[in-house]
Formats: sequence, structure tokens, C-alpha cells
Amino acid sequence: MELENLRKLIFAKGKELGFDDMEISYVNRRNFSCKVFKQEIDSYNIAIDGGLALRGIYDGKMGYAYTEKIDETSIETLLKQAIGNAKVIEDDEEEIIFEGSPLYEKIDSYSEELEKVSIDEKINFLKTVEQACYDYDKRVDNVNYCMYQETTVEGGIFNTKGLIKQEKSNSALYYVMVAVKESEDVKSNMELVIGRDFKKFDAKETAKKVVDEALVKLGAKSIKSKEYPILLRNTAAAGLLEAYSTIFSATDVQKGKSQLKDKLGEVIASNKVTIIDDPLMKDGVASRSFDSEGVASKKHVLVEEGCLKTYLHNLKTAQKDGVATTGHAYKSSYKGTITVAPSNFYIAPGDDSYQKLVEGLKDGIMITGLNGLHSGVNTISGDFSLEAEGFLVKEGKVKAPINQITLAGNFYDLLKDIEEIGNDLKFTLPGASYIGSPTLKIKKLSVAGE
Amino acid sequence: MLDRKLIEEIILAALSTGGDFAEVFVEDKSNTQLMLQGGKVEKSISGRDFGVGIRIFDGLNSVYAYTNQHTKEQLIKMAIEASKAINQTPRDHTLNFMTEKIINQHKIKKNPNNISSRQKIDVMRQAHEGAKGYNNEISQVTVSYIDEDQKILVANSKGKFVEDQRVRTRLAINAIASKGTQMQSGGFIYGAHKGFEIFKDIEPIEYGKEAARIAVTMLHAEDCPSGKFPVVIENNFGGVIFHEACGHGLEATSVAKKSSVFTDKIGEQVASKIVTAIDDGTIANHWGSSNIDDEGEATRKNVLIENGVLKGYMIDKLNGRRMGMESTGSGRRQSYKFAPTSRMTNTYIAAGDSTPEEIISNTEKGIYAKNLGGGSVNPVTGDFNFAVREAYLIENGKITKPLRGATLIGNGPKILHKIDMVGSNLDHGQGMCGSSSGSIPTNVGQPMIRVTEITVGGRKGAE
Repeated sequence: MELENLRKLIFAKGKELGFDDMEISYVNRRNFSCKVFKQEIDSYNIAIDGGLALRGIYDGKMGYAYTEKIDETSIETLLKQAIGNAKVIEDDEEEIIFEGSPLYEKIDSYSEELEKVSIDEKINFLKTVEQACYDYDKRVDNVNYCMYQETTVEGGIFNTKGLIKQEKSNSALYYVMVAVKESEDVKSNMELVIGRDFKKFDAKETAKKVVDEALVKLGAKSIKSKEYPILLRNTAAAGLLEAYSTIFSATDVQKGKSQLKDKLGEVIASNKVTIIDDPLMKDGVASRSFDSEGVASKKHVLVEEGCLKTYLHNLKTAQKDGVATTGHAYKSSYKGTITVAPSNFYIAPGDDSYQKLVEGLKDGIMITGLNGLHSGVNTISGDFSLEAEGFLVKEGKVKAPINQITLAGNFYDLLKDIEEIGNDLKFTLPGASYIGSPTLKIKKLSVAGE
Repeated sequence: MLDRKLIEEIILAALSTGGDFAEVFVEDKSNTQLMLQGGKVEKSISGRDFGVGIRIFDGLNSVYAYTNQHTKEQLIKMAIEASKAINQTPRDHTLNFMTEKIINQHKIKKNPNNISSRQKIDVMRQAHEGAKGYNNEISQVTVSYIDEDQKILVANSKGKFVEDQRVRTRLAINAIASKGTQMQSGGFIYGAHKGFEIFKDIEPIEYGKEAARIAVTMLHAEDCPSGKFPVVIENNFGGVIFHEACGHGLEATSVAKKSSVFTDKIGEQVASKIVTAIDDGTIANHWGSSNIDDEGEATRKNVLIENGVLKGYMIDKLNGRRMGMESTGSGRRQSYKFAPTSRMTNTYIAAGDSTPEEIISNTEKGIYAKNLGGGSVNPVTGDFNFAVREAYLIENGKITKPLRGATLIGNGPKILHKIDMVGSNLDHGQGMCGSSSGSIPTNVGQPMIRVTEITVGGRKGAE
């Protein structure tokens, strides 16, 4: 059944059942992914799926329900489930269904060219990447993962206040993980490339990068436990920022789960630090012209030269704080409820090159990777203690590789201890958001090893 | 769930380009999620997931397709599209489904679909009261309740046709204790392959108190020192150390591609002699149990390590082909949206001889890790990390002051050899394990164990 008709039927039936305003949102997704192992197709996946979510105000409360079976037979169950869910909600805050923003920016998040690349071209590309890794150095023992994935997502929001917003996006990514071996020492490394222009994907360059970075880890040892000045390389810094991105969410602030509570207008970071959320960013994986409530997206500076300017808001959290929404309503899928999440979120790059930062470090450690970010961080206290790897830096030169150490500190303190910021902004693996950072020079952090 | 004749047509369409095996997985699942925050119900969401996964093998090549479209035309089209990835001479297939009747080992007494939201909210409120009432340092309490009723059907070109139902219920409590700008959290989770009768097993109010106790204890704890220490790891969720450090490396997913440090080590001494480790998907009503796995094979008790010697791996069908070994009933997936692969079910280190008191009193100086959080492992190197949610210092054979912010890191295969005491108090804890076939319920378990030396990372720095 046409979405148009389905929408009319849901809204009409919903009014009959006693709903005030209602909103439906839908997602249709097409996904292709493929893995190559030893030049054979190891897995080949295709998927077409989607779902329809309903939320509506019933007796002042917001009720949610969803279905993966999108047809006329699901309408009644969907509405009744939403009523059942609304009835148990005890949240007293006013619920809002949004009528629309006056102006929406156009974003470029869909490439028709990408859809035209044949499956054979993609598989051949993967085989080239895998072979290039083996060819690059004889110490490459195994290419554990060599995967390509392409996703097209089409979604929209319609509500009884007349809002109609639809957007389509696509993107492709490939991911390679290699293991290198020298006598009994095995080290691994991975690289992810993401984009919308297949022609820009460079198999040889990726192979060189992923293998080079694995090779330099060979012979890594632990080091003596003490406090060291730290260079947190861009992707490691971005991973840490991602783990703590929830502290900027007004939901967490209002629930007392963020120490940024009551800190608006105050200095929360070193004056070198500016943090930006830009949903309109060109080539941003999380780019969008409107958020999950239909609010127009725009760029926001959250922290300006160390000073906290705003939290990330949706309509409800903004109303509670008496401010305008920043357009950061987020719903993880049609199964979720509205929360708050950043889009393309990053620490603004500084002036110094990566090389200059290394040269400026007399005696310290460069951290290139952090593991356990889902478990080793306490977003409430800000404390973290994470498995790390990297290199010893002596007299401004990168020396021996290090592993089997932990890096411990407190994120709120770390923000204040940032002494220098590189110009090498890089984004980490995309999740709900796309989060980036340049390399950061941190005054000192506690390292545990030998 | 899906017409038998249609399933037959899907399988034949999937094999039309010469695949040698095809499988259809049908899932129909209802979900309920409730969240109580600050004593108020803030989230109530329910829905129904329905979808079909189609898998085709051609030797070691595999193709997976899924959709939640459900008409006959759409499903056949999907099967044909998937089959295009295979280019072999089609062979004749006669399908003769043999319906398998499973003997249900996991009886459900109170299906949560028949329990009102009010009753569910009532137990959540009890947990909230338990935590909130602990003392006035508790500033926020979040209680989450989840139940699900998953019906699956697996049919394949070898004639398998089998259905199963898994009902799971889980309660999670998170308490935050604060004082000035200091905040610490504590949590407690209980879940089972059971219905609403889980609340006959547990007292939500006591679990609430326990979450609050951890938060408050950690609020008054010192920062953990860093360096190498003997570490005593408590039972129950402490088993996450084996799960992360070794369990993942024993999954055929990494063994088949020789990515695991345990590849080709069957029969070798991989752990200290007092270590026996088991993965058992059959334990009645346990969180990670099911009658059959998601490839339709009966689950079983798999001995992984016996007295320190590597005995076996956890194997799914595709990796079984790669390894020339049979499935061990370990093929699992989050939903129809994932191709199955080898995964853990209820994994644990078997009970040993030492009493917990003996272990502590025999430790002169070390760290007592009472509650562990999550962790991760690099299966290629075996390097793991995990967070300790509640830790204490052991001095002269006695547990003394609480410590916070500890992380344990090490190398799985090396740690196995360093386990020098295994306690008698085996217990299991419930987790969600994320890997290539999605996030699935798994139990981790162990008695109290002692490891002679682990690198502990904490904020306090070296002593």
C-alpha cells in the first residue's frame, strides 16, 4: 500500500481512538556487503528491510509503537500498542509534535553514481586490496578481514501538524584488518575508508597504510608505570571523545548524569579547545538537513575557546531549559524513542602539524590506539582507564613501540589539560554519530605497565 | 510462521544457480522495553519484528540475504537475487522436510505477553525503592525491564524443518551516588530464559540495594593503584575474563581462518592444570540457553578445556566446513538480520577445590575484583582489557579498602597459565555479547579464581 494512503488511514483511525497529534516515521534500507578471504568470496550479503514507527500524544503522554510489517492489517495493532504505552508513561513534561522549521538547508548525501558501480567491480576491488596487503610485505601473515559495505537509506517523517520531510542518503565503506608476524610476535592493525565516490578508493594506498602501521607495532613492549606527557593521536582522541559525547547531551545534563550541569558560560576546557557539531558538513557520514523531530539542522559551537556555550538539545529538553532546540533529536531506529545525539561532532583543528607536535615532545608517549572504550570509561565520574598502545617519544623523535599498558585519567580534567592541538582532524568509525579530533597534546596522564 | 510449501520454493530458488546447501530462517518476535528513571516511567515501547533470512553455501562461499518484506513474490525474488552470487551448474534437489519435534528443556511458566504493564512496572518500582532508599547519596536510579518472545523456524535443503521458542526476561538497575562533583555508578542485572516467573527467583528490592551499595562504596573509594598485582576475581560475572580472554579465541569464526591464538592447539596444555572450561547451551532456563541453535542444531555441553588441555572449539556449520569438523550446536545470531556464526552460550570455568576464604587469606597483597564490567579482546593477539566496577585492596590476607577505576589488561593465553587457585563457588552472570552475528544473550560464569599477576591500570599511578 502507498505510504500516502497508509498515513491518512493511520491518522484518521488514530483520531477516532482518541489521539491528539500523531507522527509517523519510516525507514527503508538496502544494504550490500561482501567479504573476501584468500581471494575467495567469503561472505556475500544483501538486505532489504525497513519499519514504520508511530508516536502520538494520548491524554498528554507520548505513546510509541513500531511494526516491520508495513500494511493495512498492522494499523490497528500499532495504534493500540501506542495507546497502551502512552497510558503507563508518568513523565509530566509537555510532549511536542513539531510543525516544521521555516527553512531547511540542502545537503548532499546521496550519490547516484555509487549505485551504478557493479558488484563485480566491488568484489574485484576487495581482491585487489587483499592481494596488495600480501604483496606489500612478506611479514603479512593473514588478512583477517577484507570487507566492503554499501548502504542506501531512505527515511521520512509525516505528522498531523502538516510536517512532511523526506531524505535519502547512501555511503560505501571498506574495512581491512591485517596480522603481521615476525618469529612468534604477532601484531594486528585495521583501516576503515568511508566515502561516496568509488573512484577515490585506492587499494594500494590502503594496503600500504594498514600494513605499515601493523609493522611498526612489531616488537612492542610494556613500559614502566608512571605519569607521562601524552600525545593522543587523532583517531584515539576521537574514540575517547565519542565515549564521552553523552556529557554534552541535555538529557544527561538534566538527569544529573553529566558534570557539565550548571556550567554554561563557564570554562570547562583549555582555551585551545573549540568543539563543534555540524550536521551540514560536506562528506559527513552523519550529515542531515533535519533531525528526528523534523527540526532544521544547523552548525553549533558547543565549546568556544574552552567556554561551554550550549548543550545538545531536542524539543523537549530545550523546552525544559527554556532555550531553542539545537536540532539534535535522535532515534536509533524505528524501534527507538526520541533521545539526543550529536551528528558530525569534532574538536576544531589547531595550527600545528602532527610532526611539529612530536618534535615538541621531549620525553613522553604517543598513544595511537585505545581499546575497551565501551567498558573502561565512566561517563558519570569522567574517570577512564583503558588498554592502550603507541610509541615512546624521546627528544622529539618517535622511538620504540609500546603495548600492554593502560592509560588512566579523568575526561573533565583532560579537557583542561590540553596544551596543543594538531591540524590533522580525523574521524573515527561511524556509529550513531560521526566523531572526530585532531591529535591532542595532554599535559600528563597515568600509565600502567611494568 | 511461513507456509511450508513457500519455504520449499524459496530453498529451491536459492539453489537454482548451483549452491550445494540452502537454509531459511524465519523469526517472529515480540518485544517490550520499559524504563523507570527517577521513579517515573519514562519509556515504554513495544513492537513486533518479523523477517526472513536466506543462506546459500557453495563450498566455502556463503551468501546471506534477509528481508522483512513478506509476500511470496518478494521472498522468491530475494532468494533469486541472492543465488546470483553463485555461478555453478545447478543440480537436482528433492526436498523432503522431516519435521523435528524438540523436547522443550526451558519451560516458561508466565509468558510476559500475558502480564500487564502495571505488574512489570510494579517490580521495577520495587527495585527503584531498594536503590533510592539505600542512603541519601543515591542521586539517580534507572531501572530497565526487557522481555522478548522469539519464535524461530529453521529449514534447510538437507530436509531439516524445526521450530523453537525463546522467552527471555531481564531486569537491570543502575544507581548513581554523588557527593559534590563526585559521581559513581553501580549496577546489577538479572536475566533468564524464563518468563515473568524470574521474579520468584529474585527480590527486586534487594537487587536495587545491591546496585546502590556498589555506587556508594565506589563514591568513597580511593583511586586504584597501577602496576602488576596478583588479582582475585570473584565468581558470577567475573567469568567475563574467560569470555573475553579465551572464549572468543575458541570460536570457530576466528579458529577457521587461523586468526586465533588457539588454532591447531587441540590436545595441548593451554591453561594451568586446575582449569576446566565449558560452554553449555543446554542448562535449563539459563540466559544463554536454547533448545536448538540458530542453524537448527541441538545445543550441547561442549568441554573446551579440561584440566588445562584444549579439548574443543565452538563450531557453526560454515566454519565446520572450513575446519573439516562438525557443528557443536554453536551457530547463533541476534536476529534474521544476521547470518549465524559460532558464538558462546553459557560459558564458565568449572568449580575447583579452594574455598573463597582460603584464596583471600593466601593472598598477601593484591587486588580483589568483586564486580567486573565489560571488556574486549583482539582475537588475533589475544590481548584483552576489562573494567572492574568494584575492587578492593587485599593486604596480609584480608580485604581492606575499596578501590575505583581499575582496568585489567593482559594476554588471554598467558593469563590461563597464571590461574593458580580455583574456588568452589561457581555462579553465572548475564551479559550481552556483541560480535559479527550481532548482540546475543550469553552467560559468563566462574567460581572465585586467583591470577598470579595481571597488569592493573588505575588513576593513582605506580606505588
